[in-house]
Amino acid sequence: MSPLLEVTELTKTFGGVHAVDGCSLAVEAGTVTALIGPNGSGKTTLFNLITGYLRSDSGRVRFNGRDVTGLDAGALYRHGLSRTFQQARVFPQLSVAENMVVAGGYGWRQLLGSRRVSRSDRARADELLEEFRLSHVADLLAAELSYGQRKLLEFAAVLMSEPTLVLLDEPTAGVNPVMIETMERHIRARHAAGITFLVVEHDMTFVMRLCDPVIVLDQGRTIASGTPAQVQSDALVLDAYLGS
Amino acid sequence: MTRLRSSGGLLFFVILAALPSFNLAHWVLNMLIFTLMFAVMASAWNLVGGLAGYPSLGHAAFFGVGAYAEALWFGHHSVTSGWEPFLMLPAIGVLAALIGWPIGAVAMRTRTDVFAIVTITLLFVAQGFAFNLHSITGGAQGLAVPPGPWSAATYDRPFYYVLVALLGLAVGITAATLRSKIGLSLAAVRGDEDKARGIGVRTTGVKLLAFCVSVGLTAMVGGVWAYYEGFIYPQFAIDPLITIAIVLMTFLGGRATLWGPVLGAFILESAQQLLAYQLGGSQVYLIAYALVFLLIMLLLPRGILPTAQERLRHRRRRLDAAPGPAGTGSGGSAGGTSRSGSTNGVVASATGGAQA
Repeated sequence: MSPLLEVTELTKTFGGVHAVDGCSLAVEAGTVTALIGPNGSGKTTLFNLITGYLRSDSGRVRFNGRDVTGLDAGALYRHGLSRTFQQARVFPQLSVAENMVVAGGYGWRQLLGSRRVSRSDRARADELLEEFRLSHVADLLAAELSYGQRKLLEFAAVLMSEPTLVLLDEPTAGVNPVMIETMERHIRARHAAGITFLVVEHDMTFVMRLCDPVIVLDQGRTIASGTPAQVQSDALVLDAYLGS
Repeated sequence: MTRLRSSGGLLFFVILAALPSFNLAHWVLNMLIFTLMFAVMASAWNLVGGLAGYPSLGHAAFFGVGAYAEALWFGHHSVTSGWEPFLMLPAIGVLAALIGWPIGAVAMRTRTDVFAIVTITLLFVAQGFAFNLHSITGGAQGLAVPPGPWSAATYDRPFYYVLVALLGLAVGITAATLRSKIGLSLAAVRGDEDKARGIGVRTTGVKLLAFCVSVGLTAMVGGVWAYYEGFIYPQFAIDPLITIAIVLMTFLGGRATLWGPVLGAFILESAQQLLAYQLGGSQVYLIAYALVFLLIMLLLPRGILPTAQERLRHRRRRLDAAPGPAGTGSGGSAGGTSRSGSTNGVVASATGGAQA
């Protein structure tokens, strides 16, 4: 069976900088795959290319058995490929419940024909908010949430469209240790429910605990991939992180 | 609460519709007509400038499109019952929306201040056309629209009623937008368009729709204006001051609110008429106008309605918090303190109010 996400020879240059340089990788369905690498190795650019935020110079992306290279971010989202951002981007002037509902990936018929927050939208949002223990803040503005709560909200919101693959960009950056555990629990729960994850993360204990396989990126290309144990003992990886 | 608000809105329109029956002085009705024109245009501008967060400065160009469309058509067709020019308005609105579609599609690739500059350029290009396409627009000599066959004593009334209907249309469209998922999508575009795009919000579609409806309504007002004035010149049909006025009114009343632009128009247009009256025909009133703008930016940067709603919300919260610490919940995790159920209700209605 072909992998859920397959990236082939993807390249992106900014001026003379090869941010992503012929990168190839695959994410198998049903895994929590980690994407790690030193600062500036191209992880976020790769995320932006895969999710349609940036257009690649060359290379292909296949998702769920079809070629999605050059597809718009919104179209990819509606096809089941969601992402979160490093800085937890939510809509501060909308309520928490509205932040959930707006991520529903609606077609024009629903946009024109159904209420801002219909009863079924609200029920669906409440269900997820309950799972993420955000029910008590459902009617507050997102601006009133703590940073950790915003990260949870962003994660919960992209689940509104019932994605098959979720890309998490540093889910534990800038949050307290309790929240890191909470985040891990939610990822595990959702993984058990059938969602595949690709996670960019700097917290290595978190990665080694949660993810398998681990893909290592350096200077815009894949230098290693395998189980956490294999990657940790790989000479190239040690080189990239520690310098030779 | 929503019922209270919508019945308040209904009352406002009933009073508006009844006003001419009180035999108002001619100058009062004349002032009301201009106030209504600006109220419709500010409401229309709010769809794109407020709800979508795209501050267009080019709306006067579409006002001009409406005015010229009206004048051109009735330069070749006669007016018999007097109502034909009004019956043309929907067609003018559709025409302007169709012209607006490609323009918006290009201009809306830019955002915020760049978008403002691109659209103000549009205004001057349109004015250039109006001045220079002599064979069509008559250039600086302008165009005449035949007057309606009404007696002088009640001549203003048909215009007044049509404008009340247009205001109803603009406010109705805004209310429907706010209640639908289009309104929610526009709020997402306003908040963080890139993020919105990535969670499947149809950003390009909804903002273009808002732009087209907005310029369509603006052109309809232009049509009424041309008929009312009876004669149009390029410098008045496509006037940067119109753009500035409607933006100012929306800012004063409150962007992205239902009634803010209407409130702003009623305050500023009457103030302007008074200032122009007091300070004579010179342009001194423009300085007073600029002063008003500065004061708004200093004292009410978010506009009257949002500021008032915020105050009300804080007061209610304080009142709710006062009667003892019962029901403080189990204490939230970091930051977001959990609140008692009743406070939650208030916050919910206050956020609902922000859409009002």
